[in-house]
Amino acid sequence: MKPFVRYLWVLTAFGLGVGTLYWFIAHEVTGAVLLWAFGLMPLIVGLWALRHGASRNAPVAPEDDPNADPSTDAGTSVGSFPAVTVWPIFFVLGLLLAGAGLIYGLILVPPGLALAAFAIHGLMRESRQ
Amino acid sequence: MSTAAAAARREHSGVVSWLTSTDHKKIGVLYCVTAFAFFLVGGTLAGMMRLELADPGRAFFEPGTYNGLFTIHGTVMIFLFVAPFGSGLANYLIPLQIGAPDMAFPRLNLMSYWLFTSGGCLILLSGVASAGGGAQMGWYAYPPLSAGRMSPGVGPDIWILGLGLVAVAAVMTAVNIVTTVFLYRAPGMTMWRLPIFTWNMVIVSILGLVAFPPALAGFALLFLERRMGGLAFAPAAGGDPVIFQHLFWFLGHPEVYILILPFFGVITEIIPVFSRKPLFGYTGFVLATLAIGALSTGVWAHHMFTTGAVDNPFFAAMTLLIAVPTGVKFFNWTGSMWGGKIVFPTAMLFSIGFLLNFLIGGVTGVMLAAPAIDFHAADSYFLVAHFHYTMMGGAVFGIFAAIYFWYPKMTGRMLRERMGKAVFALMFIGFNVTFWPQFEAGLRGMPRRVVDYPANAGYETPNLLSSLGYVVMAVGVLFFLADLWVSKRKPVEAGDDPWDGYSLEWATTSPPPEHNFDAIPPIRSERPAFDLHHEGADG
Repeated sequence: MKPFVRYLWVLTAFGLGVGTLYWFIAHEVTGAVLLWAFGLMPLIVGLWALRHGASRNAPVAPEDDPNADPSTDAGTSVGSFPAVTVWPIFFVLGLLLAGAGLIYGLILVPPGLALAAFAIHGLMRESRQ
Repeated sequence: MSTAAAAARREHSGVVSWLTSTDHKKIGVLYCVTAFAFFLVGGTLAGMMRLELADPGRAFFEPGTYNGLFTIHGTVMIFLFVAPFGSGLANYLIPLQIGAPDMAFPRLNLMSYWLFTSGGCLILLSGVASAGGGAQMGWYAYPPLSAGRMSPGVGPDIWILGLGLVAVAAVMTAVNIVTTVFLYRAPGMTMWRLPIFTWNMVIVSILGLVAFPPALAGFALLFLERRMGGLAFAPAAGGDPVIFQHLFWFLGHPEVYILILPFFGVITEIIPVFSRKPLFGYTGFVLATLAIGALSTGVWAHHMFTTGAVDNPFFAAMTLLIAVPTGVKFFNWTGSMWGGKIVFPTAMLFSIGFLLNFLIGGVTGVMLAAPAIDFHAADSYFLVAHFHYTMMGGAVFGIFAAIYFWYPKMTGRMLRERMGKAVFALMFIGFNVTFWPQFEAGLRGMPRRVVDYPANAGYETPNLLSSLGYVVMAVGVLFFLADLWVSKRKPVEAGDDPWDGYSLEWATTSPPPEHNFDAIPPIRSERPAFDLHHEGADG
């Protein structure tokens, strides 16, 4: 099992455990729900990781092998990194415009959301190249 | 994962390439520079407050304006300076420390930077240029004070929007850091060989993922209440304002650890290097940090003792428990120095200053964890002093330590040690002259967030000292800016490893190449760069 999944189980146990303890001590709903949600978050990620190859029987990854040599995964593709991109800036501008619309007039919301959607589309296209 | 497999990037230069670059190092530097600019703004606001409070009698500001000053000062320092500076360091250092070519999600990284910057600008705008009234309700914006009737105008709305963007940016950064560290480590860089700074940032990121969404929900409900007639916090309609306090402090207290843990990590990188020893008790240190992170999610309502609506013994016990792992860390730090060949460059001085200041902040925190004392000291200057001893004396000293330690790696140039020591002396003396008297003022009963105070109530001397101390600190910051300028104008080459450092970033060039490493050395301990540079020697 990948070590990080183990950390996720510990987090799950802590969040659910303390949430339950808090509920029995304080009988206060908001805090208990927050703590239980804290426990559920790593549970969801951990289950997803298990379904995608982080199980106990998976081979030890080079980063988890204390004796691994730097050349162990030489040649492994890590994808391509974009040097520059403008789409995140357009996305943020779209959010700002939509947010300003909530304060100054709803007419600004549709163009703001459209700009954000356009930026997301641009990001997706760029990441597929 | 091999850096040899990293895809090539084309060389880019110029301002536009900096602002659109997805290189984690450039984004890290942008974060740090932007956050430091916000620090200068927040510090100026603090100076305006100290100017008003130097003497009894109102001299410069209307009460509402003063409320705006401390609201924006608090928001800026917490959300726009200390936390993002930690994010900037993490962006720059984590891939270097774990042997990765970049962060896992480079575009998301750039997006989070722009969300942070634009949110920060909105927060500043909310205080100064808002028709009908700026944000004047304090950095935690409790309803009903923050509701539309008590805080009219668009200022609070812009403030909420800005804070929302900053919070989303923090969540994005947290996702990026956790994914990068879990999945992008170099061969041999097991979790138990991670540099302590990286470990701390993983824990900080998980805390951020847990803590920011509830606060975002709280602020969204507040926004709905202000703009669209929402009733979540209106008691007359069945709402409950205490729910907002729960949602806010479920972020607000872990946030204190989100702010301080990166700089626990920073000084833990620095102290062993300048003591010429390995870190004392690596495993215990990591477990203590995990314990602090976990416990910090169960202490939020110690900020709500005086509401009478929470279980005080539960939160007092959880808060006192945090002192145990924090004490373990102090043993680690002193143990690392004990018997070492200690040298005192500026980064080490700031680290030791951190220890001394944070110890005072921590001990007064333990005092405030007892509800009986908290009832007496709540909303007094005692609390202000305690908070600033942890955040300014701790985190900000950690930031200066980090700058003096990693500036040579980031730029290839050294800062001047003599100027650095002058900066430290001015900051350390100025800080303690500013904030120690505030303990005294608080114990004498001076409430915080007041624009004026009565003469002959025992508040004058502490306040005058505080204002004088601020001036000394401000001179220290000016010295620091001068140090940066001198380093730029008359560069002294740093070399790749000027401190004989321990972690992996010291095994590459200064500044590092775009893909970070030409070759990653074998990683056989938590000090791979030291192992590389002292191969064959006893060490």
